[in-house]
Amino acid sequence: MGIMGNSMNEFRRAILWTALAVIALLTVLSIYGAFIGAERAQEFFNRIPLAVYWMFFAMLLAVAIVVFPRLVRVPGLLTVHAGCILILAGGMWGSKLGNDLQRRLLRIEKIRDGRMVIYEGTSENRVLLDDAGRVSKALPFSLRLKDFRIEYYQPANLYIETRDGRRWKVPVEVGKQFALGEGLGTAKVVRAFENFKMSKQDGKNVFLDDPNAGSNPALEVQIAQPNGQVATRYVFEKFPGHSQGQDAFLLSYHRAISDFISEIEVVENGKVVAAKDVEVNYPLHFGGYHFYQSSYDDKAGQFTVLSVYSDTGLYIVYAGYWLLCLGAVWHFWLRHALKRLRPKSA
Amino acid sequence: MEIKFTLQGLLVYLTMAAYLAAFVATSLRRARLGHILFLAGFAISVIAYGYRWNHVRHVPLQNLFEVFLSLGMLCYPISLFSRRVLRIGGQWADMVIGTIVLFPAGFVFNAEPQQLPPALQSWLFAPHVAVYMFSYVFMGKAFFQACEHLLTSPRTDSPFLPPEQATYEMICVGFPLLTLGLILGSYWGKQAWGDYWGWDPKELWSLVSWLVYVAYFHVRYMFGRRHARLNSQLAILGMAAIIITLLWVNLSRLFPGLHSYAS
Repeated sequence: MGIMGNSMNEFRRAILWTALAVIALLTVLSIYGAFIGAERAQEFFNRIPLAVYWMFFAMLLAVAIVVFPRLVRVPGLLTVHAGCILILAGGMWGSKLGNDLQRRLLRIEKIRDGRMVIYEGTSENRVLLDDAGRVSKALPFSLRLKDFRIEYYQPANLYIETRDGRRWKVPVEVGKQFALGEGLGTAKVVRAFENFKMSKQDGKNVFLDDPNAGSNPALEVQIAQPNGQVATRYVFEKFPGHSQGQDAFLLSYHRAISDFISEIEVVENGKVVAAKDVEVNYPLHFGGYHFYQSSYDDKAGQFTVLSVYSDTGLYIVYAGYWLLCLGAVWHFWLRHALKRLRPKSA
Repeated sequence: MEIKFTLQGLLVYLTMAAYLAAFVATSLRRARLGHILFLAGFAISVIAYGYRWNHVRHVPLQNLFEVFLSLGMLCYPISLFSRRVLRIGGQWADMVIGTIVLFPAGFVFNAEPQQLPPALQSWLFAPHVAVYMFSYVFMGKAFFQACEHLLTSPRTDSPFLPPEQATYEMICVGFPLLTLGLILGSYWGKQAWGDYWGWDPKELWSLVSWLVYVAYFHVRYMFGRRHARLNSQLAILGMAAIIITLLWVNLSRLFPGLHSYAS
């Protein structure tokens, strides 16, 4: 019994040392990953040797639960360690390698991640799997983009800067005059354009807000000098720093985006089965996939880009998160707080 | 470095002055006066925070100016909690921490209000950042206790826990918050960007911070107080990882990533 006990203690000690080595290795690898950037780090942490490492880590945690009676006796420690196992298991199951394995062994054909480009008024079921958009796979349902819109914080701002570096931030209010200070005159926004266009009529330049597709936000600004001279300037959001060489002021126009919204309908067998306004932080969840507002047509606002992620393994990871959080809060806080309260109630 | 000639700047400087005065008074064994000045500094920092909140019209935790402003405000309540509930001393260190964390808010970071970009318009924004702020202050206190353990000789007449034990207690309080911050961030990443783990430099550094404290618990369990200095050294290493997570990732061009808006 003594020899058995001694060898068990030796084994436990070995497990603890291995755990420390595994933690230290992950720390070093994470620092390395932080230096190489997210894209390369993702590729690095999904390689076969790292998959072996993740597997070993999960097994080590499981073995620790078996050989350390304290990890079973103390509920907080058990849930923390079990939570870590679930996070690793869910992560591996949902990873690229996990998806490949599921396809080969279980014949589960599910897209892990990709993106969809959907034009307004059209339906799309192809998910683009590579950056160039050459490889794609079809979903068993389609998404229809009813409308895409961008919302901006109000008011937008006109920035006015003198050549010697003095700067003003002026809220854009059409018709309102803004005094620039003594000797500098005033500035006034005369007109705001969503889609600025210039054309010639009877030999004269005519500036108009084109109602057709396109986006070229601009301001018409009048600068009145103290001597009474008035100059009109056009300031373009997409072309900052556009000014004339002799101008006393540099003007720029800035609108802060408050939201991107894609009005999406899910179409299955010719019928609309779900609808949602997809926004950043508010993805659409349907058919085992999440769809996220990712990008858009910044030239004309005609299409939206949604990123697509499979939910494989996700709920195992979430279960692990719950266990890890509850275990940590219970073990480090609540059980001590309850101990403190007990004598008082007694 | 710039001096802020604004009401916001003035409130930050007043808080720093009160914290510094509290530290001087405490060092001169005027504990009561020190406490009153510390409390006054806290009151001013609450006004500064409330003023900022009203100014930007959202929870002021968006950029590094606001983050450091909030850290400066948290020092007093966490100090009081640690002293009263956990019997952990080092109030002088809390006054120093308060002054240190307000310095970048007062002199380094731009205080120009910014509107929240779409990614930050989530119910997870405030809790994710706030739990990290709380945990960082607890870990900052743990760091000072660990330094005290390594640099000073043990005292027997103190009514407070010895520094090594105090370091452990502080980490025990801060660690669940660090865990919660990591998990809330991961859940938010899933809601906003599509994946619960994006291998972004800030994510990886926050994982590094978490792992150092995980190693701390395992080392302390393995060796108890036989290698007490090693425990304290790990607590210091943990704080170094937190500083990198908080600052370097947002400031350095070495680590561009999804969290760059927080600079």
